[in-house]
Amino acid sequence: MNTNGNTYTIIYSTIVVVLVAAILAFAAMALKPKQEANVKAEAIREMLTATKGYEMESLGKMGNDDILAEYSNNIKKALVVNAEGQVIDSLSISKHEIYTESDLKEQNNLIKSGKTSSLRLPVFIFNKGGKEVTVIPCYGAGLWGPIWGYLAFDDDFKTFAGAYFDHESETPGLGAKIKDDPDFRAQFEGKSADFGVTKIFSIVKGGAPKDQENAIDAITGATMTSRGLDAAINKWLAAYKPYFIKAQENARALAQVADTLDSCNSDNTIIAAASAASAK
Amino acid sequence: MNAKLKETILTPLSMGNPITVLVLGICSALAVTVQLKGAMVMGLSVMVVTGMSSFVVSMMRKTIPNRVRIIIQLVVVSLMVILVDQLLKAYSYGIEKQLSVYVGLIITNCIVMGRIEAFGLANKPVLSLLDGISNGAGYAIILIVVAFFRELLGSGTLFGIQIIPQAFYNAGYMNNGLVILPPMALILLGCIVWVQRSIQKELQEK
Repeated sequence: MNTNGNTYTIIYSTIVVVLVAAILAFAAMALKPKQEANVKAEAIREMLTATKGYEMESLGKMGNDDILAEYSNNIKKALVVNAEGQVIDSLSISKHEIYTESDLKEQNNLIKSGKTSSLRLPVFIFNKGGKEVTVIPCYGAGLWGPIWGYLAFDDDFKTFAGAYFDHESETPGLGAKIKDDPDFRAQFEGKSADFGVTKIFSIVKGGAPKDQENAIDAITGATMTSRGLDAAINKWLAAYKPYFIKAQENARALAQVADTLDSCNSDNTIIAAASAASAK
Repeated sequence: MNAKLKETILTPLSMGNPITVLVLGICSALAVTVQLKGAMVMGLSVMVVTGMSSFVVSMMRKTIPNRVRIIIQLVVVSLMVILVDQLLKAYSYGIEKQLSVYVGLIITNCIVMGRIEAFGLANKPVLSLLDGISNGAGYAIILIVVAFFRELLGSGTLFGIQIIPQAFYNAGYMNNGLVILPPMALILLGCIVWVQRSIQKELQEK
């Protein structure tokens, strides 16, 4: 058979291409549920690590089912808020509804293009030793590809409980340190976001001033990644700002009520003591 | 036959090493050698891809139209690379995340195409499979050697474990930032070629 004829060449190429396409389509379809479960479990791992209740290493050893169970045990509620800070929806906890990287990308595009009216931002509220920890995501561009992460806040809605970041293709040993270097993440703990100013949080090249509450040190040798992360955090915190301002007011009001209750209680004891004394 | 088998398996590891002698696949050798773990998985992936693509192309070798053979080879290589990537994504997600970009780059790795052209098209499938795996191994060895020095000198770690003691740093020792950057990988690679050529004198040009 002449394998160099035009007809043969065209038919041969067509068959090979169709065959390869079929194999790939089949593989993609067959593996998709497993891959999606992996992506979801990874996002949950990252959120749990951000709350500081877990170490990424031990979570990495747990299977996807265990991760989902761990999520159900720790999550208190998962909300969706809009750009005005109003709660417009909630995510199903029993179905482990979360935002994966592609969902974050979609929201990021809305924030970037200024279409804030259609924003649907997720807020995850975890239970950590009786205290509420609020986790929100952030997403942006690093040096080579997207970077994203989760910021965890204490119940005063401004102090960081922790943070976790991930990236698609930052340079190993340099930009990849946003994920790999625990010391970088640890800087967030105890620092706070300042919603009163335009620059809500800063990652400062050459070292943050010691007395600045809303700044941390950038990574040496990873200027672009640090800058990208700084921009991502600020952009997303700005989008969440209305929600956080309201939450801070509520937290303050609650604290006041608690104070009044406390003083009422002590009043009651005095009254009780007084009536006991008068009864004698 | 036995002599040929032995030659097929052993040559790529020393006298015909794809990186140091044939100087193929340099680009990825520079990109993934910052850390040992990544270098190892990359080496393993290349072994699988070169072996499997050589095997498949060798099975098809008598039917491939000569004029479009490079394209057909490329299609087969892409198929293998995407399959490896998809499988890693489903069953070894953590490692896939580290290597995502580089795995895709295997498609353009000259070693894979080079071996198919030079060996797969002219030999039986099983022998081609062995040749592919062996060339992948030759690539992996060099990657691991380069990554060893780069991770040790650049980050003071091996497989992410701190090797250089804190006392050294306290005494003023610093990680070498230059080693992390690609140019230093090229210099290290040059040193390896130098060492190999001074041992194996046959490689030196007259």
